[in-house]
Amino acid sequence: MTETDERTNDRHTGGRHAARLALLAAAAGLAAAPAVAQDVEYVTGGDGSGNGMRIARTAAAGPPGEVWLPTGDFANSRYSELDQITTENVANLQVETTWSTGIPRGHEGQPLVVGDTMYVVTPYPNYLFAYDMTQPGFALKWKFEPHPDPTAVGKACCDIVNRGASYADGKIVYATLDTNVVAVDAEDGSLLWKTRLGNVEEGETTTMAAMIVKDKVIVGNSGGELGVRGWLKGLDLDTGEVLWTAYSTGTDEETLMAGEQFEPFYPKDQGEDLGVSSWPPDQWKLGGGTVWGWISYDPTEDLLYYGTGNPGVWNPDLRPGENKWSISIIARDPDDGQARWAWQVVPHDAWDYDEIMENILVDMPWNGEMRKLLVHPGRTGFVFVLDRVTGELLSAEKFHQATNWADEYDLETGYPLVNEAKRTHLGQTTFDICPSSTGAKEFVPSALSPRTGLLYIPAHNFCMSYKAIEANYIAGTPYLGADVVMKPGPGNYKGKLVAWDVAEAREVWRVEEPYAVYSGVLATAGDVVFYGTLDGWFKAVDATNGEELWKFKTGSGIVGNPITFLGPDGRQRIAIYSGIGGWVGANAFESISADDPTAALGTTGAAADLKKVTAPGDLLYVFSIPEQ
Amino acid sequence: MMKRFALTLPVAVSILTLPACQPQETTEAEPAPAGALMDLTGRVMGTQPGPDRPLIEVDNPYDSTPNVLQEGRRLFVWFNCYGCHGGRAGGGMGPSLRDATWLYGSADQDIFDSIAEGRRYGMPAWGTKLPVEQMWKLTAYIKSLDTPMEPEPPPPNPVYPNPPPRRDIPGVTAGGGGGG
Ligand code: HEC
Repeated sequence: MTETDERTNDRHTGGRHAARLALLAAAAGLAAAPAVAQDVEYVTGGDGSGNGMRIARTAAAGPPGEVWLPTGDFANSRYSELDQITTENVANLQVETTWSTGIPRGHEGQPLVVGDTMYVVTPYPNYLFAYDMTQPGFALKWKFEPHPDPTAVGKACCDIVNRGASYADGKIVYATLDTNVVAVDAEDGSLLWKTRLGNVEEGETTTMAAMIVKDKVIVGNSGGELGVRGWLKGLDLDTGEVLWTAYSTGTDEETLMAGEQFEPFYPKDQGEDLGVSSWPPDQWKLGGGTVWGWISYDPTEDLLYYGTGNPGVWNPDLRPGENKWSISIIARDPDDGQARWAWQVVPHDAWDYDEIMENILVDMPWNGEMRKLLVHPGRTGFVFVLDRVTGELLSAEKFHQATNWADEYDLETGYPLVNEAKRTHLGQTTFDICPSSTGAKEFVPSALSPRTGLLYIPAHNFCMSYKAIEANYIAGTPYLGADVVMKPGPGNYKGKLVAWDVAEAREVWRVEEPYAVYSGVLATAGDVVFYGTLDGWFKAVDATNGEELWKFKTGSGIVGNPITFLGPDGRQRIAIYSGIGGWVGANAFESISADDPTAALGTTGAAADLKKVTAPGDLLYVFSIPEQ
Repeated sequence: MMKRFALTLPVAVSILTLPACQPQETTEAEPAPAGALMDLTGRVMGTQPGPDRPLIEVDNPYDSTPNVLQEGRRLFVWFNCYGCHGGRAGGGMGPSLRDATWLYGSADQDIFDSIAEGRRYGMPAWGTKLPVEQMWKLTAYIKSLDTPMEPEPPPPNPVYPNPPPRRDIPGVTAGGGGGG
C-alpha cells in the first residue's frame, strides 16, 4: 500500500479495513508476489480451481470490501473476493435500501464505495450523490451539481449516459457529458478542479468512466457518430492539468506512436504515420476512433490498455484504407501516453463495430506456459486473447455463433478473414449481417472468475440490414451515410449470458433471455454471478452451471453494472442501478417511435418491444441478507 | 409549388425579423398595449407564460404535394437530420418527429422556428445555413410523417408490427391551419 492510500483509508474508516483485508486474504487465497513499481497482490481461485489464473490487485484499487474503481479492479475482472453471499444463501437476498436519482434515463455505470460512503453519478445533468451507509436506508450526505452544457444532450449518440467515477486520494473524479472532468472532495462534495477537454458544438461528448491510474486521470471522448476525432488524455490528478493527449488518428507525433518503444506485433500495424496514410487525404481529421469504454491497467508492466471506436463516416466506401487507429486495442505508458503496441481489430470497418469493450488482464497458463494475457470479448462476436506484453493475438474464437461478417482470424497476420458478401457498399443494401452494429455484446462489461476459469459475457443477438448512402459532413451533426435496420437474430432469444471457458475458447453454458442482455456482470468468490435484464430482472445464477438461484424485479430495465461491497457492519451487500436507456434501452423512451425501425440508429427494429415490458426509471438498489 | 405568395428572402432570419413581409392571411397582430415590452424581433412580451396575444404565425407557403414532400425527405437525409431524429424521424439523439408529442409546438411556424433557431437541448440552428424555402419543405415533410402522404414510409417493425395509432387531439395538434 502506498502512503497516500493508507492515509485515506484511515481517515475514512479507521482500522476496520485491515480486518476485512486479512479475512479476505485468508478466504480467497491471495498470494504475495514480488513488487514491481507498486505492491501487487494476486487474486486466485484458491486451491482446487486448477486453472492457474491469477489477477493482479494493487492497494490503489481499494480494499476488496470497497469499490474505488468503475471497473472494480485495474484488471477489469469484475470478480470480487467477497464470499459471504454464496450459492447456498443468495436466495435470502432482500432489498435493504433504494434511492431515486431523479433522472429517468440510462443508468449505465455503477456506484463507488469508499469507507462508509456510497457515491452515485447520474446521467446528464451528472449529479454526484454521497450516501452515508452507516444510517438506515443510506442517508444523503450531499449532492454535487456540475451543470453541464445542455447542448451536449442532443450530441450524445446513445442516450445521455455516464459510466461511472473513480476514487483516489480523497477525490471522486468523473467526466460530465459536455467533456468536462471534475474532481470533487469525497468528504464534503466541494469542487476541487474542473477541466474542459473537448468541444460539444462539434459533437464531442464524454460518457466513459474516468479512470485514475497512479497520479493520472485517464479519459477519452465520445462522438464517433458525428465525425469526431478520437483521443485519450492523461490529466494530473492533483490539478486537472492535461499532461498528454493521444489521438486515435493523425501523425505518429499526435498518436504518441513515435519512437522505438512502439512495437506493434504484426507487420500490418507497423509503419510510419499510419494514422494519416491509411486514410484518404484529410479524412483522418473526421476519423473517429473515439474512446468511450473501459481502461485497464497492468501494474507489473506499467501499461494501460483500451480500445477505440468506429472510423468516421460510417459508410466505408467514403474512406478507402485501413483507417488506423479506429477499432484498435492499444497499450500505453500511463505517465506520458506513449504507445507500446497496437493491434487493429477491424481494418476498414464496414459495420460500426467499435471495440472499446473491456480488456480483462489475467495471468494464466497458455499452451503450458504462464503468460500475461489480455482477454477481449468483442462487439465483433469474437473473444480475442492477446499476449498483453507483445500484442500478439493468441486466439480469436466466436462466442456468438451467428457472427457472419468474418469467418475467423488469421493468427499469423492478425487480419480477420472477412466475408465479402457481408461487406457494406455505397448505394447497396446488405442484408442479414450478424451481429448488428450494437455487436454481439456492447460496452457492458463481462466478469471473469478465477475460481471457475469462466468469462461471463453479457451478449445479445441482433442482425441488421445496412444501406450505405452518401454522407455530408456538417460539424456537430451525425456523419453516417448509412440507413440501418436491426432485427432479432436467429433463435428465439435476443439476449444471453454466455459462460466462456477462456483456456479452451468455448462456450460452457448459456442462459438465454427474451431481451438483449445489456447490463454488466459481477462474479464473486461465493460462486454467484449477478446480472440484470432489460425487462428489469436482477438475477443471481450459479457460476458453475448457470442455474438461476434468485431474482428480483426492479422498477425499470437494467443497463448498469452490479457491484458488491462490505457495509459498515462488515456484511456483504450487492448494489445495482435500475434505469433503462442507452443505445438499445432508449427504445423504452416515449421520444422513440416503434413504427420507425430505423430510429435510434437502427436499434428500434430489434428493441421497440421494450416499450411493452418496461419503462424509464432512475433507481439505485442495495441488497443484503437480513441478519438472522 | 408555392402557395399564396412567393418568398424570395434568402435566409430565415429575414422572415423572422421583418414583420412587413408576413403574408396577409395570418392572424393580424394587434397593436401592443401601452407600456408592453417588445423583444428583439418586435414580439410582445408580457406577464403570462408564452405570448400574451397570438404571435404572428406564417403558414407553410408550400402545399404538401408529392414533389415538395419528396424534396423535404431528401433534405432531411442530406442535412443529417436523419442521424439525430431517426431514419424515418422516429427519434434517436433528438426526439421522434412522427409521434403526437411536440416539445415546441406543432404549428408550421413552430416547426420552422425549431429548425431555423435550434432548440436548447442540442437541436442545431439551421437558419444561417439553409434557405428559407428548404426549411419550409422540411417542415412540410415533418408534418406528413405518419400520414398517407409520407414519402418513403418506414418498413414494418419486426418486433412491434402493429404499434398503437398515434393519438393526435383533433384541432390541437393540427397546427397553424394550413401548409401541412
Ligand atoms: C445533432 C442532432 C440533431 C440534428 C442534426 C437535428 N436535430 Fe432536430 N432536434 C434535436 C434535438 C436534441 C431536439 C430536441 C431539442 C430540445 O428538446 O430542446 C430537436 C428538436 C427538433 C424539432 C422540434 C421537435 C418538437 O417536438 O418540437 C424539430 C422540428 C427538429 N428538431 C427538426 C430537425 C430537422 C428538420 C433537422 C435537419 C435540418 C434536425 N432537426 C437536425 C437534435 C438534432
